[in-house]
Parts: sequence; C-alpha cells; structure tokens
Amino acid sequence: MTAIAPHRAPTMKMYVVVWIGLILIVGLEVFLTYERLPAGTLLACLLGLALIEAGLGVMYFMHLKYERPALFWSLIPYLVFALVMMDHFWPDALRLMRQRMQGP
Amino acid sequence: MSHSVTMEGSPYGIQSKKLAIWLFIIADAATFGAILFAYGYLRLANPGWTKPFAFSPTIVNGMVMTVVLLTSSLTMVAAVAAAQAGRASAGVRWLGATMLLGLAFAALHLREWFAMIGEGWRLFQNPMGGSPLFGATFFGITGLHLLHVICGVVVIGVIALGFRRGRFDAGHVETTALYWHFVDLVWMFVFPLVYLMNVR
Repeated sequence: MTAIAPHRAPTMKMYVVVWIGLILIVGLEVFLTYERLPAGTLLACLLGLALIEAGLGVMYFMHLKYERPALFWSLIPYLVFALVMMDHFWPDALRLMRQRMQGP
Repeated sequence: MSHSVTMEGSPYGIQSKKLAIWLFIIADAATFGAILFAYGYLRLANPGWTKPFAFSPTIVNGMVMTVVLLTSSLTMVAAVAAAQAGRASAGVRWLGATMLLGLAFAALHLREWFAMIGEGWRLFQNPMGGSPLFGATFFGITGLHLLHVICGVVVIGVIALGFRRGRFDAGHVETTALYWHFVDLVWMFVFPLVYLMNVR
C-alpha cells in the first residue's frame, strides 16, 4: 500500500500575496537596471532577486514548503551541486582555449 | 504458484507521477542552468558585447510578458485548488485561463522575435556590428523557453479535456501545474540575465 500524505496547501490569499511580491520584485529589478550600477553589482543584485523569486515560487506555488522535508533534501542539494560544478568547469573551458597551441 | 506483492510506502508521501515530474524539473533546471552559464561566460569572453535593448519597446514588452506569465501561475494554482475541491468545471475554466495567458505570452514573444528579425538579427548575424554570438544566445535561450511554454499550453489543453471527461484526476492537474510553475520560474532568470543585463 502506498502512503500518500494528506494534502496541505496555502490559501488563495497567500497565493495572491506571493504573486504581488513577485511582481514587485520584477519592478525592483527594472528599477535597479536603470540605476546604472556597475555590471558586476547589477548582476549580483539581479541574480539575488531572481533566486528570491525562484524560492518563493518553488516553496509556495509548487508547494515544496508543504511536502515532506525528504523531498526537498533529495532534490534541491543535487541541483545546487550540479550548478556549482558548472560554475567551476565552464571557466576551465575558457582557460583551455587560451592554452591552445599556436599554428605554424 | 501464487505470490503476493507488498508495496512499500512512498518515502515522500506523494504520488509517483508527482515525483516523476519533480525529477524532470530538476533535470530541466540543470539544462537551463547550463545554457545560462554558457551565455554568461560567452558574455565575459566578449568585452564588446552588444546591448541592443531600449526601455521601449523591448523592456516594457518583457515586463508585460513577465506579468502575464506570473498571472498564469496564479490561475494555475486556482485550477489546482478547484480540481482538488471537486469543482471540475471551475478547474477547467481556470486551466483555460492559464492556456490563454500562455498563448498571450507566446504571441508577445513571437512579435518581439519578428521585430528583431526585421531589424536584421539572425542566429549568427548582428546588425549592430558586435559579436554575432548575441543572436545565437538570445534566440537559443528564449527559443528553448518558448518551446517549453508552447508544450505547456498543449499539455494543459490535453489535461483539461481529460479532466472534464473524467479520464484525469486532480493529481494530473497538480502535476501539470508543477511543470507550468517551473516554466514561469525559468523566465524569472531569463528576463534579468538576457534582457535587463543587455539594456542600452
């Protein structure tokens, strides 16, 4: 017999609050873009805000907050690990291009 | 000879199809992560990267597209809530609203693509004289996302029809919703990284 947990979910009011929050974050992203910040600072701000948006979406719209913690711990650390590995190996590809032997 | 089959309980307390879509989402997130990382390093490797986007029409259009997609996530959670409450006709109506918003997003996106193609942008052609890789990354990333949106609209249509006829249950609607929210979340990274980082 398969044990399925009783369903829990946020209220519709909570969904609307999250939706408004996400739209406000998008507005903040556009505002920061036109503040003419240095490219690195702007990238860090935009990525940070995008991660907050993703967290809100995954936890509330996708209900991960309301599932058993085992689901979160089985999925998210793997994804973070894979993305960190990409972050480490992609620059290595650029380094290899620079090390290419010159033609005669 | 007879034997009995004993099924173990789900360690996650969810249906198999829900676990399957979560595994797909994680794999697809890694795919989008890979192309966004590749885009980032291509940008870094090309100091003269083209920044073609003006506030109007591109960024305004992008903001409208973002709001449309976020709103479609809201209509989707309403569809799931209605389906789980046994209100089938309301669930189908909300799924229809989600499809309409998904189609509006795709139409806005295609309008923008055709405007750029009209200006001379191609996969490996930059009418502004900068790196030709801009077109490849822009059309590649947004094209893959648009493909996900179009597939999502088709799947929602199939699920809505099946749900109305009683062939599918609320679990199918919820599984489809997970995919749709994921497509929405991917856009939350595409819009700032591909559009906002490339404003004039």
